[in-house]
Amino acid sequence: METPEILTPQERAVHTAEFNMEIAIGYILQIGVLLSVLLIALGVAWRWLSTGILGMDYSISGMNFFEFVLNDIRLMLQGALRPRLLVNLGMATLMLTPYVRVLASMLFFAFVERNRKYTLFTAFVFIVLTYSLFLR
Amino acid sequence: MVAFLPLLFVSIIAGFVGAMGGMGGGVVLIPALTLIGIDIKHAIAISIVSAIATSSGAASAYVRDGITNLKVGMFLEMFTIIGALVGAAITLIAPTRPLFIVFGIVLLATWWSLMRQKDEQWKPVAHQDRLSNWLELEGSYYDQAAKQTIEYRGARAYLGGPLMFGAGLIAGLLGIGAGALKVLIHDLVMGLPPKVSTTTSNLVIGVTTLAGTSVYLAAGQIDPGLAAPTIIGVVIGAFFGTRTLVRLSNQTIRTFFLVILIILGVEMIARGIGGV
Repeated sequence: METPEILTPQERAVHTAEFNMEIAIGYILQIGVLLSVLLIALGVAWRWLSTGILGMDYSISGMNFFEFVLNDIRLMLQGALRPRLLVNLGMATLMLTPYVRVLASMLFFAFVERNRKYTLFTAFVFIVLTYSLFLR
Repeated sequence: MVAFLPLLFVSIIAGFVGAMGGMGGGVVLIPALTLIGIDIKHAIAISIVSAIATSSGAASAYVRDGITNLKVGMFLEMFTIIGALVGAAITLIAPTRPLFIVFGIVLLATWWSLMRQKDEQWKPVAHQDRLSNWLELEGSYYDQAAKQTIEYRGARAYLGGPLMFGAGLIAGLLGIGAGALKVLIHDLVMGLPPKVSTTTSNLVIGVTTLAGTSVYLAAGQIDPGLAAPTIIGVVIGAFFGTRTLVRLSNQTIRTFFLVILIILGVEMIARGIGGV
């Protein structure tokens, strides 16, 4: 319960750009996690309803993250939508969540705050993460 | 294969405790997963992917409350992600027993040092060094429990950064968020208020665990059948854990944290000696 004299983050957002960024990051993280959990739960529920089995049993063999995502999207476009694919997409969404958050922070520091120091720091994190997602 | 419902239940508990302590939940999750019959390397891989969910879910609420310090987070992430990549790479090729013992000792040492200063309230940093000043490590937030705005400055970034490499290393190595270590570095080295250190740690963990996850994914260690119930469970647990934390005082969080640290420390050492 909030008392009336406390400014909500939305109200504070009117005053400074930094709070805007905080709200944007908050939503990126929240939507990413919720979407990912929703996709995974749908996949599990679908399998449960169609086969009567609760749970799945498979593993992802040596692919890097981008291959994993592209493979899933290709299967989906072929109309091969099935429980396993939803779970995979959920996991891909989960991994993309902090990645997109870092990207958004980088753009914010570069174009809104025009803070060269922090643009560089964030770019470094973004490049290392991109590299790590290409590992296989 | 391990049943869905026990996995879900264990994950809900781990997610709740993780969010409250500013941890990814892996510290509770990994022991529990091995107890229900999952081998340690798979448990580590599942734990680290689920820690992305716990920490990001918790961080989303804190960031919007204006408690998290984005600059402190971004600066420290540069160190933690490198640590996580190195740590995960080591786990893939190394036996883990000695590491459990070392980690247990680290946890007990931090428990001891926190215990000593338990009664001291957080004190603002008196002198900010030049590096921390150049890094713009400062901020303020509205404290709901104390009903006032708290202003603070971070210090000793020259120590905090390199130590964060170590925290990232542990995170990648053991598949945990290593939030306990991150919070300690924020608290004791950089002089941040406990709430800022806990919430900023959550933000940093999301990125750190992603770096670790990518290594385990590439190695084929992430099993979606096990990860699915785990991710769903930790998110449900973290949802409730987060809502509990924002309303509690700094002292309550600290006490809770101390209990968790000692249990985990003893447990880690016992398993290292006993052969996991």
